[in-house]
Amino acid sequence: MIKSILKLFSVAFISVSLTIISTVASAEITINWPSIWVGKDSKTTVIRELVDEFNAANSGAIKVVIEEQTDYDIYAQKLTAQISTGDLPDVFTVGSDLLDILYRSGKAMDLAPHVNSDSHWNNVYPENALQSNMMGGQLTNLPYELFVTPVTYNKKLLKDAGYDEFPDNYDDFFKMCEAVTATGKVCTSQMTGKNAWTSMLWYSQALASAGGPDVYGKGLDHPAFVKAFEVMEKMYKYTTSDAIGADAGVSGGHFLNERTAVFMNGPWFIARYTSDGIPGLHENIGVAPAPMLSGGEGSPGGYVGGKQSSLAAGKQSDPAKEEAVVKFLKWLTTPENVARLSFSSGAMFIVKADLPSDMDRLFQEMNEQKGNAPYVAPIFINGIGSLPVAKEFSQALSALALGDVTPEGAVEMLKDAE
Amino acid sequence: MKIKKDEVIWLLIFIAPAIGLFFLFFILPILFLFITSFTNWDGISAEFVGFENYVKLFNKKTFIRAITNNLYWCLTAAIITVPLALIIALLLAHRSRGWKVFRTVLFIPQVVSSAAIAMLWAAMFNSEYGLVNFLLDYIGFSDYQNHNWLGNVRTANAALIGFSLCYVGYFMVIMLAKTASISDDYYDAANIDGASQFQKDVHITAPLIKSTFFLCIILAVIFNLRQFEYVYLMTAGGPANKTQVLVVYIWNELSVQRLGRGNAAGVIMIGIGALLLLTLRKLLKSETYN
Repeated sequence: MIKSILKLFSVAFISVSLTIISTVASAEITINWPSIWVGKDSKTTVIRELVDEFNAANSGAIKVVIEEQTDYDIYAQKLTAQISTGDLPDVFTVGSDLLDILYRSGKAMDLAPHVNSDSHWNNVYPENALQSNMMGGQLTNLPYELFVTPVTYNKKLLKDAGYDEFPDNYDDFFKMCEAVTATGKVCTSQMTGKNAWTSMLWYSQALASAGGPDVYGKGLDHPAFVKAFEVMEKMYKYTTSDAIGADAGVSGGHFLNERTAVFMNGPWFIARYTSDGIPGLHENIGVAPAPMLSGGEGSPGGYVGGKQSSLAAGKQSDPAKEEAVVKFLKWLTTPENVARLSFSSGAMFIVKADLPSDMDRLFQEMNEQKGNAPYVAPIFINGIGSLPVAKEFSQALSALALGDVTPEGAVEMLKDAE
Repeated sequence: MKIKKDEVIWLLIFIAPAIGLFFLFFILPILFLFITSFTNWDGISAEFVGFENYVKLFNKKTFIRAITNNLYWCLTAAIITVPLALIIALLLAHRSRGWKVFRTVLFIPQVVSSAAIAMLWAAMFNSEYGLVNFLLDYIGFSDYQNHNWLGNVRTANAALIGFSLCYVGYFMVIMLAKTASISDDYYDAANIDGASQFQKDVHITAPLIKSTFFLCIILAVIFNLRQFEYVYLMTAGGPANKTQVLVVYIWNELSVQRLGRGNAAGVIMIGIGALLLLTLRKLLKSETYN
C-alpha cells in the first residue's frame, strides 16, 4: 500500500515538474517571420546573421523563427489571403500594392503609439517618412527598402557593337540593339512570366518618359500608355527567344551569363553580378538612366522606383509579444544593421544609415544618378493603383510581343481587366 | 433488404457524423460560394451587386476562353488519353515479357509531384536549352530551333495538353486491374474457336471492361475540368491568356481580391461540371458504369 502511494506521489511529482519546466520553457516568445530574404536573395546572409544575433541577445526570452519564402509572387499571394482571413504573421514584409488592404483589414499592428513613445524610429527615419505612411491616424507599416531601376548594361558587349556610351534616346537605343544583334549577342533581357518584372520596369520607364512622372493620374486613356507599349513592341524584337513566358530567373540569367547586353532591375541585384555572374561581369557593367522618348513629357535622367518592401506586424493580443515584435523591428531598423544589409546586398533603404565609403561602385553610381534625377516615378504595378490591371500587364505584354494585339489593343486589355 | 424500424435510429446515429462533416465541409462552402457570388466581396467588405459578377464574367473574352480551353482538355482526355490507356491496358493484359516494367514506368508520373513534373516539362520545352527543340533539331527539324513552345499562341495549348498524355498510366492501371477479373473461361472458349489475340481483345476483353472504360472517361473529364497546377506552373494562363483555364482564372480573380467575382466563376464552374456529368451519364448510359 505504502509502495503504491509512493509510486503515485512520484508520478505526480514528475508530472508537476515537467509541467513547470514546460511552462518556463514556453515563456520564451516565438516570433514567426515568413521572410522573402532567403535562398538566392542578396540579403539572405546578413538577414540570417541579424536574426541569429537578435536571438542570441534575447536568449530564453524571444526567438525569431524565419519561415523561408523562396518565391516572391507566391509569398505575395499567400500574404493577400492572410490579410483577408486576418491570420497575419507576427512580422512580415509587404509590398506597396497591399498597403491599402492591410490597413483596411484592421489586423495589422498599429505602430504609431510605439513611434510616439520612443525616439528610435523618429531618429532613424528621414523627416515625414513615417508620417506620409500613416493612414487614418495609424501606422501599419514601416517603410524599409526602397529602389530605383536604372539600366544596367554590359560595357564589353556594347563596345563590341561599337558603342562606348549608353544611348539617351530610344531611336539610338534601337540602332544600338541592331548593332548588338549583328555581333551575335542579344540586346535586352525581357520576360512575361509572373508579373513580367523586368519588362514591366522598362514599360514604367517608357511610360514616365512619354507621360511624365505623374502619368498614372492621367488614366489609361492617356496616349503615353500606348506609346510605352510601342517601345515594348520594338524591345521584344531584340530579346531572347524564351522571353515570352520567362520568369525573372531566366531574364536575369541571360544577362548574368553575358547572353544579353542590357538589363533592368533594382540595386538588390548588384551582389548577384559578382556571386552568380560569369567571371569579370561586375567590372564590365555600366549604369545609366533609361533612354527618353522624343516629344515625351518626361525629363532626361528621370528614374523610376519607389518603396520596395515595408516592415509590418500582425496585431497581438499579448502585450509582451507586442513588445517583443517591436523590439525586433527596432533591431532591423538600426542604422548599423541597415548599413550592413545595404553593404552586403547593394539594396537601398529608407532608414538613415552611415554607409561605408567602399560601397559597391554600381550602388554609388545608382545613388548619384538617383540624386541627380529630376524625378523618381512609381513603377507601373504600384502607380496604376489597381491589382487587376497590374496582374493583366504580363498577359497584355505577351499578346503584344506575339503580335496578337496592337499597342492600342494591349491598353484595351488593361482597361478590360479593370 | 428491408430495414427494421429500430434499426433506423442506429443507422441515423452512425451516418450522422458523415452527413455532418459533408454538410460542414461541402454543402456550407458551396452555399457560401453561391451567396458571395452576388456580392463585390474583396476580403474586407462586401455589398450585394445582384448578377453583376455573372454579367461581367460572360462579357470577358478571357473567361469564355478559359471555359473553351477546359472543354478542350476534357475532350482530349475523353477521346485521346482514355482510349490510349485502353489500348495500352489491352496490350499489357497479355502479360507479355516485361509488362510489369511498362506498367510501372507508365504509372510513375502519378507518384511524382505534379509541380516537379510541370517544372521539368517547362524546362524541356524551353526554347534556348530545352530537350524538345534539341531532339527536333537532331532529327532534322531545324525550323524548330529556338521555338518557344509554351510562349507561342499556336503551340502553347497543344504543348500543355500533349504533355498531359503522360498521365495515361493512371487510367491504364484501372482498366488493367479490371482485365484481371475476367474469367479465363471466355478465353478458353475463344481459343477452342481459333480466335486470334486481336479478336479476343476486341470481342472479349474490351466489351467486358466497357463499364470501367466509361468510368475512366468520367474521371478524366472531372480531372481536366479541375485542371490547375500544370497550366499555372507552366504558362500561368499565358501567353496572351491563350492557355487560360477556369481554375487559374478563378485563382487570378481571388489573388487580386475580387473574391465575389471569383466565387461567381466558381459557381459557373460547378454548373458546367454538373452539366458535363449529366450529359456523360446520358451518353454513356448510367447502368453501364454503375
